Amino acid sequence: MTQPASPAPAPQPTNNKAGAVRRRPRLWAKTWPYLAAVGSLLAIWQLAATAIGKPFLLPGVVDVMPRLARIFTNEEFTTGFFKSLYRLALGYPLACLLGALLGLLGGVSKTFAVYLRSLISILQSIPPITWVPFFMILLGFGDLTVITIITIASFFPMALSVLNGTEGVNRTHLEVARTLGASRGQLLTKVFAPESLPAFVTGAQVSFGNAWRSLISAEMVGGASVGLGRYLSYRSEIADMQGVLLSIIVIGTIAAVIDLVLLEKLKRRLLHWRYVSGGDQ
Amino acid sequence: MQSLELKQVNKSFGSLQVLSDINLKVEKGEFAVIVGHSGCGKSTALRMFAGLETATTGEVLADGKPIAGPDPQRVMIFQEHALYPWRTVEANVGFGLELAGVDKKEKRARVNAVLDKVGLDGFQRYYPHQLSGGMRQRVAIARALVVDPEVLLLDEPYGALDAITRLQMQNELIKLWRGTGKTMVLITHDIDEAVYLADSIYVMSPRPGRIIQKLTADMPRPRARNSQAFVDLRQQIMDSLDIGTYSI
Repeated sequence: MTQPASPAPAPQPTNNKAGAVRRRPRLWAKTWPYLAAVGSLLAIWQLAATAIGKPFLLPGVVDVMPRLARIFTNEEFTTGFFKSLYRLALGYPLACLLGALLGLLGGVSKTFAVYLRSLISILQSIPPITWVPFFMILLGFGDLTVITIITIASFFPMALSVLNGTEGVNRTHLEVARTLGASRGQLLTKVFAPESLPAFVTGAQVSFGNAWRSLISAEMVGGASVGLGRYLSYRSEIADMQGVLLSIIVIGTIAAVIDLVLLEKLKRRLLHWRYVSGGDQ
Repeated sequence: MQSLELKQVNKSFGSLQVLSDINLKVEKGEFAVIVGHSGCGKSTALRMFAGLETATTGEVLADGKPIAGPDPQRVMIFQEHALYPWRTVEANVGFGLELAGVDKKEKRARVNAVLDKVGLDGFQRYYPHQLSGGMRQRVAIARALVVDPEVLLLDEPYGALDAITRLQMQNELIKLWRGTGKTMVLITHDIDEAVYLADSIYVMSPRPGRIIQKLTADMPRPRARNSQAFVDLRQQIMDSLDIGTYSI
């Protein structure tokens, strides 16, 4: 916390180019353990397949990879693939929006916060797929049922995270805004909301995990006739072990890509002020 | 400009009495300083002027009218600067204008003018965590000044700064205030700071806070910290706080 004699000299010209150069080795340091983890899983799989020696029971990596490479030419698979992504693209943002909104409201009203916590604890104790039979009767077979289940399963991590975030809002930050003349609405949009952004990002990440798991499982137990989950369970029914394995790979890869690339980008964008270097902290 | 007054104010938090029968009047354009032990309730008194706290009994007045709540005419500056970490210097300073719906062009001009005044021109795009403690507190002062309030309420603004920076900031504060006619109320436990800055000094007792003594500092500014008048006043304050000397 040193104070320059005259304020003119800047505390080091900051960022961008310098930051980008520094980030590259760090990216690699984060990437290679990840690649090692993927590699070891594949190695265990291949070893097990070789040991068992029955490709119809457990095909090896070398058996599945060629089919995986061609999988997007298979119409049954691609239809299911895009159908699942479509459901995710509707259900997940809807859940995030709903969760964030409810969480923020809980930050403003103590009574609502208690109500919301109770609601969440009830919903949390019901596994999402138990809603499948219920919504299948109510909403029918297909998109609407699956999307509703995704939303139910993934709104509450977001709501809980944002609620905790708003409870941690710096009291002085609120008072500064109040003395400068902020209305209740402005407190919400200009202090509560930005202050809860880190919690929002955490919530988005946890919610995504819930959304993806409930999407696949809802499709698997019969919430819809097409979709990645449905493809997987059908391949199992006809004892197509290659199809089962490649579905698992695709399901895992999509989740990892969305989590590591999209959500990480979102985080850096929303919280970009945290990644500005320089200064004394 | 506004005058500020506490009339027979008592304040309790539950069974804990914090302020006891406080009477205090700050005239328009006056620089008043309240000194006292930490935890004596001086911040509570200041927060009443800001409209962030209400009196349990008694009256809190601005220009003779009761204070109902916060008002951008009376802006408070907090000890821990309380800048928004997600806003740049520019956006932090412009916050009050943004709340008031001032248009972008005017906002930018006023922000730049006030940043220039506090010596932070060129730091518009920095984030608070990139600045030193003194610079952050300057930003906090700029954020208050930009809305051109009639009253500035400062709650131990330099309490977290190192000694040298603190003296520098005191000089800057006097320069910023002189000629503006703004009413200032500053809370501190730094006796020298009080004598150096104030027109009038209120000494408060430990909890429950009472005004033990009101002193007038009428030395011309800029003040010499070692002048006889300065030293005498400092001794008077220490005596009334019962820390003037000790017995073996």
